[in-house]
Amino acid sequence: MYKKHHEQVQFLSIYVREAHPVDGWWFGKGPMSILLKLSRSKVATDIYDPTTMEERRAVAGDCEESLKYGIRTYVDEMDDYVNQAYAAWPTRLYLVGVDGLIKYAAGLGPFDFHPSKLGNAIEEYLGRLEPTS
Amino acid sequence: MALISNRTEANAWQKKFDVQAPRVGEPAPDFELYDSEGQNPVRLSDFKGEKPVALIFGSFT
Repeated sequence: MYKKHHEQVQFLSIYVREAHPVDGWWFGKGPMSILLKLSRSKVATDIYDPTTMEERRAVAGDCEESLKYGIRTYVDEMDDYVNQAYAAWPTRLYLVGVDGLIKYAAGLGPFDFHPSKLGNAIEEYLGRLEPTS
Repeated sequence: MALISNRTEANAWQKKFDVQAPRVGEPAPDFELYDSEGQNPVRLSDFKGEKPVALIFGSFT
């Protein structure tokens, strides 16, 4: 999706607070840890929830490096302002139009995290932007 | 018990903030954030009139 549309669409990857840190709802043991290993997921299981902005930036940088999507990662501040404004935790997708209005808003993550739906929304939106002759 | 507690807490957080999250057709809340190096600030509203923006929220775990 990024490779296909990055010239027409600005992609912003935004790191918000951890979903399953060691000191929280940890997936590093039990059935979920087995599923993660079997799926060869790039999800980390050894991360503690950052308590300072420096720690948060470091984890976000490690995440960006691990995923290698080629999309620069931006980091929400410790007051979680952006996270709360978009109810984004643990993961969520939006498309914002050129007019600054929401064109696609996924439901709550993780169950409504479907990149294909965002891709479809981008295709549809760009199609509507095409000049008609 | 811890699993249930964590799930309950997560559900409560989502329920609390989802009511104010923007819906289709509503203005996207503006923000300015920095990258993982604490540099290269980006402001959502800078793209208004220029490009659509895909927002991808997540974490490492």
